[in-house]
Amino acid sequence: MALFQSLFGMLYQFGDTFAFLVIACAGLAVIFGMMGVINLAHGEFIMCGAYVTASLARVGVPLPMAVLAGALAAGFVGVIVERLVIRHLYHRPLDSIIATWGISLIATQGVLIFLGSTMQGVGTPLGSVDIGGRFYSIYRFVLMGAAVGLLGGLYLLFYHTRFGVIARATIQKPQMAHALGVNTGRMYGLTFGLGAALAGLAGGLYAPTMTMVPTMGATFIVESFVTVVVGGADIFVGAAPAVAILAFIKTGLTAWYGQLFGQIGLLVTVILVIRVLPGGLSGWLKGTTR
Amino acid sequence: MTETSNGTGSSQPRLAFLRRLEGPQTMGRGPLFWGAAAVAVMIAVVYPLMADAWTVGNTAYFMIWTFMAMGLGLVWGYAGALSFGQTAFFGLAGYTYGVLTLNFGAAYGLTIVALLLSVALGALFAVVIGYFMFYGRIQGVFIGIVTLSVTLVMETFMSQTAGPQWRIGEARLNGFNGMSGISPLTVPWPGGDLVLFPGPILYYVLLGLLVLCYLGLRILLNSPFGNVLVAIRENPHRVGMLGYDVRLYQMLAFAIGGGFAALSGALYTAWGQYITPSSMGLTAAALPIVWVAVGGRRDITATLIGTLAVLYGFQALTIYGSQYALVVMGALLLFTVLVAPQGLVVAGMNLVARLFRRAQR
Amino acid sequence: MTKLLQVSGLCKAFGGVVVADKIDFSLSAGAMHCLIGPNGAGKSSFFRLLLGEHAPDAGTITFDGDDITHLRSFQRIRRGISVKFQVPGIFKALSVRQNLEVAFQSHLSGSQLEQTIHEMLEFTELSHVVATPAGVLSHGQQQWLEIAMAVGVEPKLLLLDEPTAGMSPDETRKTGDMLNELNNRGITILAVEHDMAFVEQISKRVTVLHFGSIFAEGTIAEIVDHMGVQEIYLGTVDDG
Repeated sequence: MALFQSLFGMLYQFGDTFAFLVIACAGLAVIFGMMGVINLAHGEFIMCGAYVTASLARVGVPLPMAVLAGALAAGFVGVIVERLVIRHLYHRPLDSIIATWGISLIATQGVLIFLGSTMQGVGTPLGSVDIGGRFYSIYRFVLMGAAVGLLGGLYLLFYHTRFGVIARATIQKPQMAHALGVNTGRMYGLTFGLGAALAGLAGGLYAPTMTMVPTMGATFIVESFVTVVVGGADIFVGAAPAVAILAFIKTGLTAWYGQLFGQIGLLVTVILVIRVLPGGLSGWLKGTTR
Repeated sequence: MTETSNGTGSSQPRLAFLRRLEGPQTMGRGPLFWGAAAVAVMIAVVYPLMADAWTVGNTAYFMIWTFMAMGLGLVWGYAGALSFGQTAFFGLAGYTYGVLTLNFGAAYGLTIVALLLSVALGALFAVVIGYFMFYGRIQGVFIGIVTLSVTLVMETFMSQTAGPQWRIGEARLNGFNGMSGISPLTVPWPGGDLVLFPGPILYYVLLGLLVLCYLGLRILLNSPFGNVLVAIRENPHRVGMLGYDVRLYQMLAFAIGGGFAALSGALYTAWGQYITPSSMGLTAAALPIVWVAVGGRRDITATLIGTLAVLYGFQALTIYGSQYALVVMGALLLFTVLVAPQGLVVAGMNLVARLFRRAQR
Repeated sequence: MTKLLQVSGLCKAFGGVVVADKIDFSLSAGAMHCLIGPNGAGKSSFFRLLLGEHAPDAGTITFDGDDITHLRSFQRIRRGISVKFQVPGIFKALSVRQNLEVAFQSHLSGSQLEQTIHEMLEFTELSHVVATPAGVLSHGQQQWLEIAMAVGVEPKLLLLDEPTAGMSPDETRKTGDMLNELNNRGITILAVEHDMAFVEQISKRVTVLHFGSIFAEGTIAEIVDHMGVQEIYLGTVDDG
């Protein structure tokens, strides 16, 4: 029984970390994978989703609706940001990163000015369940389900819809897609909006588990970056295995040495991975299967 | 054609390196530029005589940051590797200086030793990170993410060192609140040690250091080493195909940049006598990018002027609250990237040069 | 005669695509040799293998008596291999002079450096644009600048990947004269080229690559008369 208990505990931790990494990095990964832009305002889109979700949930909107609204709000902001800023910087990818950092500063500090240093959150719903003598938060299981659903949904979106086919064509051969009559500008706009909405979704989903502060986005950033770096440029091939491996490493280290070493372990993994596999997992996987 | 002088051979070879103060990698040449530079230094020298001690100490504070900015200019503007995590080396050196001086005291010039060790450790750390990045052949965007992750993880790490078990010798790391009560720089002096509290003496020391580092960087950038760095920025593949080990050059540039950030960090800690984890946080990491981008990353003079100007503006705005100042910094960064990507100071300098040339005709 | 470059049994495949299939190839010191073959024949891959940008699956490369199969690119360059790429590999934002400085400063300095820069500027007729950013030169001038960069390091072997791509007939002829002059000075040259008229201008011997292996080797006349070569390569020969 004790063995089952600790095994299940480990599995639960793994699932929890896995869900966090998937949900946190999805938006960043989609934007980077499709457009080559690292969105340093990723954390602020997450914050946006969390704030909208919490505000709506507090006035009585059911949580699933509130989360959806949070995602939509972040996506909407993303489309505007793409229009006003990112669109002008496609031929200068490094500058677009710097620009998103400027946006991040403005957003964090602007929220601090207008909404104060903290906002009342919503409690974690659904309570907890007793499994083999230990209590586990049911909401965490919901998050695990959401992560799996998110992966599946993105796969379907990019491999089995018209949008996905055009989007992937646009990344691989922008000129060709353009010549074939694809409105590449609109494609990039939609993609950035989608990435922002996914970030908003992350914020919405994790809003009930976190303290609402303007800098809350920073909590997600390191893990998202690390996943994208380990995954490599091709997000569809690399991200999912990267998340699995990283979740395994982080869960292991956290279980044995504590939270902090989990994070340090992730960073060390990244630094070792870039030395051994410069193209990330996706570069490596593609290299061996070609 | 053969008469074209390339300016070599004639003058004394012993001072040949001084000729590298001017060159294609740095803006500004000729008597007019150096005259203006001399006037600027002269004004800086007499300035403390006309200002109160607090203002002078505050200006010294501005100068502390310029080292990190110039180091980032070298790494980003010249070598083409956009590092978001210079604050990692800043923070490491700050903490190192604190730990060393809290343990060994300030007598016998030990603070100077602590300063040098901190800078060396910062540069060494940059070598390690640089080794993994550049020898792993990662490029552009990824360098930014990895360096930013490093500084953020270090911030998280230092924030969690609140417990009494987190101590190095006498020095408690103190978690989120950081270390305080650290000794200022102390110079052994006949008739009693000279303690460099924020004020005129520290100001002059920093001014001297700044002039030295600035001129040293100009010489370095116009040397063959600098030539290779800008060539790597333009076309790393070709540089490799000319027989250079590109990775080594990038790592060395990164180490120098890290050393300069570390110098800022140790000086900052000595100036304020404290260091906190937030000096390695997301906001702190963004500021050097703002200074260097706004000034102009591809010229060391523009970087220096831009950094001082932005720091001054930032502090002026902080009166209304640091969050307002940071919003303006974000907006400034956005504006620069969209309107004058080469930097506002560079744009201004180009304009002056053009007007000057037109007036000469 | 001693062999400067000796390649034996060189193999490389990417997944199922074979780009080098047991290539045996050698160059005598002082040779001027052209490598031809239809698109996708493996010419560029062969260059990359020589330069160390790809690691071979099998085989060895010996240069100037030493096995260089496992050396990194920059180490091979230091031993005396130099290259000019098809797309001009120059530093566009830097002046012509700075381009040459970067190329030569690793083994020259002071007055020697100045002299070599001066010589190469004369040789490539770029003296009048010495202060111009390389990116604004004409296409032909950019090609010549890169030839100057590749030659000024005093290589034993100069690899040229389509040195005349995109040049006018006039520029092409001038490039041919330059290469003949360099070969007369003792530099061994191996060039990938499509333009048969140019091949005839510079080269005595030609190797034909096809599907990653050596299909034929001989004098220009032999190659042009070779039935098999005509078959695989007819279109391009006629066009040239």
